[in-house]
Amino acid sequence: MSNDSQFRTALGRARGLGSAHHGVSAFIVERSTSVALVPLCLWAVYAAIKVAPLGYESAVLMLRQPVNAIMSLLLVGVSFLHMRVGLRVVIEDYVHTPAAKILALLANSTLCWLGWAIATFSILWVAFVGGPVH
Amino acid sequence: MVQFTLPRNSKITKGKHFPAPEGAKKVKSFKIYRYDPETGANPRWDTFDVAVDQCGPMVLDAILHIKNTMDPSLAFRRSCREGVCGSCAMNIGGRNTLACTHAWDEVPGDAVQISPLPQMPVLKDLIPDLTLFFAQYSSIEPWLHTDTPMPQKEWTQSPQDRAKLDGLYECILCACCTTSCPSYWWNGEKYLGPAALLQAYRWLVDSRDEAIGDRLDDLEDPFKLYRCHTIMNCAQVCPKGLNPAKAIAGIKRMLVERVV
Repeated sequence: MSNDSQFRTALGRARGLGSAHHGVSAFIVERSTSVALVPLCLWAVYAAIKVAPLGYESAVLMLRQPVNAIMSLLLVGVSFLHMRVGLRVVIEDYVHTPAAKILALLANSTLCWLGWAIATFSILWVAFVGGPVH
Repeated sequence: MVQFTLPRNSKITKGKHFPAPEGAKKVKSFKIYRYDPETGANPRWDTFDVAVDQCGPMVLDAILHIKNTMDPSLAFRRSCREGVCGSCAMNIGGRNTLACTHAWDEVPGDAVQISPLPQMPVLKDLIPDLTLFFAQYSSIEPWLHTDTPMPQKEWTQSPQDRAKLDGLYECILCACCTTSCPSYWWNGEKYLGPAALLQAYRWLVDSRDEAIGDRLDDLEDPFKLYRCHTIMNCAQVCPKGLNPAKAIAGIKRMLVERVV
């Protein structure tokens, strides 16, 4: 945009395409998911320490309890949401080639949604069916 | 992608060495970035051994001494020589600051290394092109916006409301903060930078202004405002001791207040 004409004035360059009139919602999501991840991660560490020495069967039993299943779902949901918003900012910061930028943004969104879907499906499977997928 | 190495024609070569005059009692080396667009040559580092007992205590004193006695072709901006005009902002010892208020004996290392403010195109030697910087400042419309008919006397303001402008109005637009900001280096065309945003906040918190909503509308943008990642270089280098990062956080807080 800024380089489309060598005769564009400095003020024209500074104003650019104008304001997108959005950004505050992404900011709120970024900050609120950060705060939410503090207790969720503490719970995850606590659960991992508690269940690690007890073996596979105990881990399955633990995830079948509603509180643990819900906490796990929240953890992966909030994590992937936070990752999608955060990585978007990183891509916008460093990738400036238009095609590469669009591809990176699409890949980020796709992989985050995909990761969330697989993780959520797995947790629900263990919670309701109770074993590995055959 | 972001460029991590300098383009071939920007690589800095070794330049000339200007020895101190014979009989100089105290000598300090100044390594200064030189570039002359008219020659088409790459920029170079010139070294000047300055007899600092013959010049004043500030870096600007030393640069003026170099220009007056060693190399009159050295180009730089200066005016007030007391930290008020912001003209002599440059990178001294790896830090953006004002040459007129920074003492040369406070610069660590053997030689005092001086280069123009980072990121901006260089016009000559220590003179950066600040056209876009001032245009970005202009784009936030740094003046009072009112629709109410002009009062017979002045627009009134309580001492408490006036105090809210302290720490904001003192900015001298030297560009030390904006050109020290990595986020501005990566997205300088779209991100307004700390100096312009500090001034945007100065008008947002002015109790006399009637265009807060319009100002916030113009700022709410993933790039113009939200490229600030609270890196804090701006507050570290500000020669006036201001904190642009805090002002930018203030703008973000106002935008949240509007929707929550």
